[in-house]
Amino acid sequence: MGFKRSPQTFSAKVNAVTIGTGEKAVTIGGENVFPLYSFDAPIENKPKIGVQISDRGYNNAVAGIAEYYKGAENFVDMAKKAALMPGADFLVLSFESANPDAENTSVEECAALAKEIAEAVDMPIVVEGCKNKEKDAKLFDKIAAALEGKNSLFLSAQEENYKEIAASAGLAYKHKVGAESAVDINLAKQLNVLINQMGVAGENIVMNLGSAAAGYGFEYVASTMDRVRSAALSQNDTMLQMPVITPVSDEAWSVKESIVSQEEFPQWGSMEQRGVSMEISTAAACLAAGSNAVILRHPESIATISKLISAMCDKEGN
Amino acid sequence: MSKFIVIGERIHCISPVIREAMNNMQPEPILKRAKEQIDAGAAYIDVNIGPAEKNGVELMKWAVKLLQDNFDNIPLALDTANMKAIEAGISVYNRSKGKPIVNSADAGDRVEFLDMAAANEAICIALCSKAGVPSDNDERNAYCQELLERGLGLGMEPEDIWFDPLFLVIKGMQDKQRDVLNFIKDLSDMGLNSTGGLSNVSNMMPKHIRPIMDSCMLAMAMQCGLTSAIVNPCDIRLMETVKSCDIIKNETLYADSYLEL
Repeated sequence: MGFKRSPQTFSAKVNAVTIGTGEKAVTIGGENVFPLYSFDAPIENKPKIGVQISDRGYNNAVAGIAEYYKGAENFVDMAKKAALMPGADFLVLSFESANPDAENTSVEECAALAKEIAEAVDMPIVVEGCKNKEKDAKLFDKIAAALEGKNSLFLSAQEENYKEIAASAGLAYKHKVGAESAVDINLAKQLNVLINQMGVAGENIVMNLGSAAAGYGFEYVASTMDRVRSAALSQNDTMLQMPVITPVSDEAWSVKESIVSQEEFPQWGSMEQRGVSMEISTAAACLAAGSNAVILRHPESIATISKLISAMCDKEGN
Repeated sequence: MSKFIVIGERIHCISPVIREAMNNMQPEPILKRAKEQIDAGAAYIDVNIGPAEKNGVELMKWAVKLLQDNFDNIPLALDTANMKAIEAGISVYNRSKGKPIVNSADAGDRVEFLDMAAANEAICIALCSKAGVPSDNDERNAYCQELLERGLGLGMEPEDIWFDPLFLVIKGMQDKQRDVLNFIKDLSDMGLNSTGGLSNVSNMMPKHIRPIMDSCMLAMAMQCGLTSAIVNPCDIRLMETVKSCDIIKNETLYADSYLEL
């Protein structure tokens, strides 16, 4: 007797969230199956890739990145080039320089830059802050106003600043709100509840469940994503049905394997290749665990992950 | 396994306000009580129209439409001794949010309610009794098997028969409480769903005691595997207990605001 396969689909599904406007707008989520289980049911929207650029410029030590952005004189130039990167679906603007411990760039300056970029490119925009919670609340407020109508995603609202970010980016300017919990499953749900109680509909929230580079506690990330997805689908938990976006590059490019030079460790080989491998393996693992979008930096990583997503999700012949 | 199902019991013709609203087909008092229960976390609303021998058909249709139209097709338990009234209610019932529940059949005079539920593809609450209170769990089990076989014979799915162990009043039947809990465990071990009028346990107790006793009984019954109960969802202590037990049983993921969900 032949093996009869019964597809594992659910009546509940992950919310579909659209970022950006017009032809280039991207939609993440919407599936009613476990991550990449395209053999159970078609994946409603393929996972998407964001290309991350920083207002502090690019890392000259990584030749592939330096080469790609060669000739770009400022953040806007970089954004224009990034918007053309093969395999990338959306642009991730990281305003690191606004951190008080860095250049402490004013929020007005950042907002002006964001606006200039939004006018120069037609790709959906995801805005990352400077990792200072107080400054991010102010920064996001100004940028959200500058990007009004662009339907951008703001990464991220955390336990300490979700009120300001939900009120401003989410409610006043109708953007999408990223809810960030650092690999804490109960906090992930709680933040969704709190942001939702502020009046932001669940359909306008995207979760950043946290990340870790492969080999650096990634098993906690994977089990968190697993549990979230399982609650969303099998327990129909509406407070966990938000799609997941994972910033991979920040972690992948800051671990030892990606920053120690070949001179120091000749036996490890090319630093750039190590970084790319770290970025690719972490991103692939995140997608397998449940990320609906990953944020990457290196053109080679983006091309590779894009190919992986197509191979996993596209029907034959497409 | 899944989250505990609370069936709100407060639309009951024994309440003077509701009885009058039903007599005159006044929507407001019924809608008000339904809203209170839904807001408090009821998944199903029980609609008890009493014996309704005269106008049951008309009344149940009216109540079903009234509640489903106003509350996004909230699923309902149709509760009356008038079988035609339940059938009439089902004929206008919208199943998009869940099957209707027939409340209720037993192994005695009301066995045909099970047949009617089967014919209408409804869920049926099946009391494990025939005439009066079963004397022990052997008796409960015999009625349970009888009703299960009958339902399956009529093409019902086993999960659509929700067995009622008959919760008994503590004042007077204190020595029977453990039997009830053990029987719930037996039902759970057989993979069967269960429900019942839980607040019966605290009948005739002082008002301030009842929520405490009901909550404790519910927690113990949930640990034994009770899957649903017909209760007052506006009893805050009771609902806090349901939500906390669902967390402990890992039926829903914990978040600090879980009591508000």
